[in-house]
Amino acid sequence: MHDAQDRLELDSRLTELSRVQPWIEALANQNGFSEDALFAMQLCIEEALANVILHGYRGEPGHPIVIEASVSAGSLWFVMDDQAGPFSPLEPLPNNWTEPATLESIEPGGHGIRLLARFAGSLTYERLSDSNRLTIGFPLPCKDASS
Amino acid sequence: MTISTESMDGEITRVLLDGRLDIQGAATIDLRMNVLAGSCKFLLVDLCNVSFLGSMGLRSLVLPAQAVHRRGGKVALFGPPPMVEEVLKASNIDKVIPIFHDLDSAVASLC
Repeated sequence: MHDAQDRLELDSRLTELSRVQPWIEALANQNGFSEDALFAMQLCIEEALANVILHGYRGEPGHPIVIEASVSAGSLWFVMDDQAGPFSPLEPLPNNWTEPATLESIEPGGHGIRLLARFAGSLTYERLSDSNRLTIGFPLPCKDASS
Repeated sequence: MTISTESMDGEITRVLLDGRLDIQGAATIDLRMNVLAGSCKFLLVDLCNVSFLGSMGLRSLVLPAQAVHRRGGKVALFGPPPMVEEVLKASNIDKVIPIFHDLDSAVASLC
């Protein structure tokens, strides 16, 4: 699957997210994913994009982000490329994260990366020569053997 | 995303959210949530009709809850659908803001 439907070119603005949701929904439907899996996909892509826009590009519009979708090896893959400086969304994941003791002690924001790690089937970051590449995979639903 | 409120017994304000609490949805409700957090003592946030929740949406729930708490009030979350509850739990929000699926229990927690 390599046609225009499988590639989305975005500008680094949060309003672009409104173009992403129906694109993911169409891909999920084409490949027979459940509503819960669609939720997970939309969550992961939204968090990854927000991360690139707000942190990678520091909220500046006018920078490119490209997402390509493909199916291989039993998964639907989203490959997200941006040209921000080196920025791995996986590095800030704290290993020693402790549970909040009180409502006052919990951070109101900053949960995006944790959600990405929790809801993605697989997650890989690569620093290419002049870009960041995040690959997010979701296992294809099992086909009913009786059908 | 839409937001509406109704008054309940015991100075409880029920906040009914409906739609996607994504970045756009969060921006839609933030102002109203902040106003409610500044004026209400007990907030029951009804999530029954919230179909999506992302990290910006979490922020829209946590910040007002903290403001209410600082003023001596309480907040409870009611009826999140399973995937929305998964997001709340993955972020440990459930450890500091109680989640209920039974309305009477939610109300009792605020009294």
